[in-house]
Amino acid sequence: MSDASGQSTADNSTHQGWLFQRLRWRQLRNAAKDLTGTLRLRLVSIVICSFIVAGTVAVGSWYGFNLLETNRIPSAGGIIGLLFDFLFLSLGVLLFFSTGIIVYGSLFHSPETAFLLSVPARADNVFAYKFQTAIGFSSWAFLLLGLPILLAYGVVYAVSWHFFLLLPVFLIGFVLLPAALGATACMLIVNFIPQRRKQVLAAIILVLVAFVAWRSAIAVQFVRSSIGRPNRDALNQLFSQFEFASSPYAPSHWMTRGLQNAARGDLRSVALPLALIWSNGLFAYVVAAAAARRLYRRGFNRIATGASLRKRYGGSRIDEVFAWLLRVFPWQTRVLIIKDFRTFRRDPAQWAQILIFAGLVMLYIVNSRQFYEADLGERFSHIISLVNLCATSMLMCAFMGRFIYPLVSLEGKKFWILGLLPISRDRLLWGKFYFAAFGSCLIALTLVAVSDLLLAVRWKAILLHLLTVIILSGGLSGLSVGLGAMLPNFRETDPSKIAVGFGGTLNLIAGLMYLLLTIGIMALPYHVHIVLKTDEGDPFRIHWVFLGILVGIIVGGLAIWLPLRAGVANLRKMEF
Amino acid sequence: MIELTGVSKRYGTKTAVEQLDLRIERGELFAFLGPNGAGKTTTIKMLCGLLYPTTGTVRVGGFDMVKQGDQARQLLSYLPDVPYLYEKLTGREFLQFIADMYCMPSTHAKTKISHVIDMFELGDFVDDLTERYSHGMRQRTVFASALLHEPSVLIVDEPTVGLDPASVRKLKNILIDQTKKGVTVFLSTHSLDIVQELATRIGIIHQGRLIGCGSLESLRKQASHTGTLEEVFLKLTEEAAAERSVAK
Repeated sequence: MSDASGQSTADNSTHQGWLFQRLRWRQLRNAAKDLTGTLRLRLVSIVICSFIVAGTVAVGSWYGFNLLETNRIPSAGGIIGLLFDFLFLSLGVLLFFSTGIIVYGSLFHSPETAFLLSVPARADNVFAYKFQTAIGFSSWAFLLLGLPILLAYGVVYAVSWHFFLLLPVFLIGFVLLPAALGATACMLIVNFIPQRRKQVLAAIILVLVAFVAWRSAIAVQFVRSSIGRPNRDALNQLFSQFEFASSPYAPSHWMTRGLQNAARGDLRSVALPLALIWSNGLFAYVVAAAAARRLYRRGFNRIATGASLRKRYGGSRIDEVFAWLLRVFPWQTRVLIIKDFRTFRRDPAQWAQILIFAGLVMLYIVNSRQFYEADLGERFSHIISLVNLCATSMLMCAFMGRFIYPLVSLEGKKFWILGLLPISRDRLLWGKFYFAAFGSCLIALTLVAVSDLLLAVRWKAILLHLLTVIILSGGLSGLSVGLGAMLPNFRETDPSKIAVGFGGTLNLIAGLMYLLLTIGIMALPYHVHIVLKTDEGDPFRIHWVFLGILVGIIVGGLAIWLPLRAGVANLRKMEF
Repeated sequence: MIELTGVSKRYGTKTAVEQLDLRIERGELFAFLGPNGAGKTTTIKMLCGLLYPTTGTVRVGGFDMVKQGDQARQLLSYLPDVPYLYEKLTGREFLQFIADMYCMPSTHAKTKISHVIDMFELGDFVDDLTERYSHGMRQRTVFASALLHEPSVLIVDEPTVGLDPASVRKLKNILIDQTKKGVTVFLSTHSLDIVQELATRIGIIHQGRLIGCGSLESLRKQASHTGTLEEVFLKLTEEAAAERSVAK
């Protein structure tokens, strides 16, 4: 009897497994059939951006490996092994967190899983279905960053063809382990950490990110110092710093060993690390699925009922400070800006993303100071400051696309409330513009000022960068708010979906082009001037630099005025 | 068919449902009424196994919802107030998915799918992606999917929102037909006219406590009021609120 029942349970599980695969396939097929101009544009823009990122990483890696190869660095193999250990450890940590977070969102806060839990879908089948989606979302960044580095390594060292053949097998196997661990951790946190779950999770993430950043800073410093002054002690010290990543029990080291053996064409030595990676990954997945079978429904119940039924929201000091900062604006505009700010700050999913990305850019900026400390000269520090400006501007552009562009659309069916207010519709839009420009300026100016002060670049460069950031934040805000009002999507309630729609994609592309143009005409000429002036005379006359600034200001003005004018015109004729 | 014994549900320190005892028989249409925030949706979610009771037991078809949830869910269909559909599936594909999920044999599933498509007049749009459906079309598709596997228990939360009068009439007829076939219907709604017309028994919940349960006649007696269900409902809930404030 129990055998029959066990058999039937297993059959049902397999049946549901196939059913979910078919569901995913059908949805993909229908989405592909429905690939209209909008979605096609989105797909093409994603592919182009991915190629740009992967290409940049590949070129940078190729340069690094080439440096090691041409300088005949002693123990280059050891250094590369160490770098690989650390690369896989870092990517593993990223995969652990990203899969854990995606699994949390999709299993515990999605209407789809609430629906699936009300039908006879087995908890572990729902988990498996969502876990596969989470792996898809989290590992593309892993492949985008990891693959070009490994390919560059293969090309520079002209490795055996086995390396290229086995590379995807290693990478896919490696993804399983941290992702399954991340999903299991998510399940345990949801079920066993009593209160303030988000805060605990955020604290763990911050501690681990800080730890990884600290170790990576040490790695970069040691590698650089070993290039300048080959020193066996320094190398030994470096290796000892990373014993944990190079331990024979560390999956990151299995990857390194396996790939280095494959690079040498030593297939016999490849088998053990490959088997370790796959067997541990699959085992971790089985553990995660078993945990889900027992804990998923329990966790879902806990999430739904863990907090108070009603949460009281009152005024906040932050709102008061914000209102004080905005006192130059008319009262009604100020009220609108504070409304947007309050909505934003009460949605941790929104601001946490900015916090994480701004934090990462800040970590990068602080680390980039080491180049200055390494006495690489004024030219290098200026180049690095320009790269930092670009990184901050890209962050600002992403922030505008993700959070500001959807603002008008998010008013959605409630727009009639604003439409009936005794204020002009122009002011509604200008309110959103000021909110965007003010908020982005605050973050970007801080990041750029910290970067420039740490790099100790010339004061002219600092002023130029700050002016560029102000112009950029104005222009990007104008574009995002204006285009958001020109192409609103009142049906969609999910800001991330609005951001990746046609309008959102158009806004992102327009923003990127505007960003490149502005940096190109405002900041780049000055840096070219600094870099070239000593070695090859001064090919740029200084007034070219100032002409660029003037043109940048005019372009910035147009980027504010034209889209906002069009947005206001569309808003005026809109019926509610 | 449905049995709640000493069921309480707490959200942190707040009690949403308190010591609820309820037994609903096969073929009964039980209407569950209450003001906003009274605990109706929490009770419904416990009936479906989405939430677990803090104390007490919930049984559907004899199966304990916490320990034997998978078996219990085979017997029931739940229609939430905001229905969920896969945007990138057609209505027909969604119905097929539900049929497969309940392990219906393929020929039987095909026949039943055609039947519910006719019953809910989905023919015009059933092969379109559901992302293009209006609210009423979505509601009808979800209702069709709920009846596809011939459930023994139908749990319905606010089914008439967004439906036109003809669709509401149709829905009422379908609910009556289902009860005649022996299906137990647990209906939560604010449309008191529908309740008055259809319900075998009515339960009124207020601040998590069941303050009245029985036929309309017995509720009238309890309220000492001979008026409409609306008047009886208002009287009972006002009295309960007054008692509660005195107790505090």
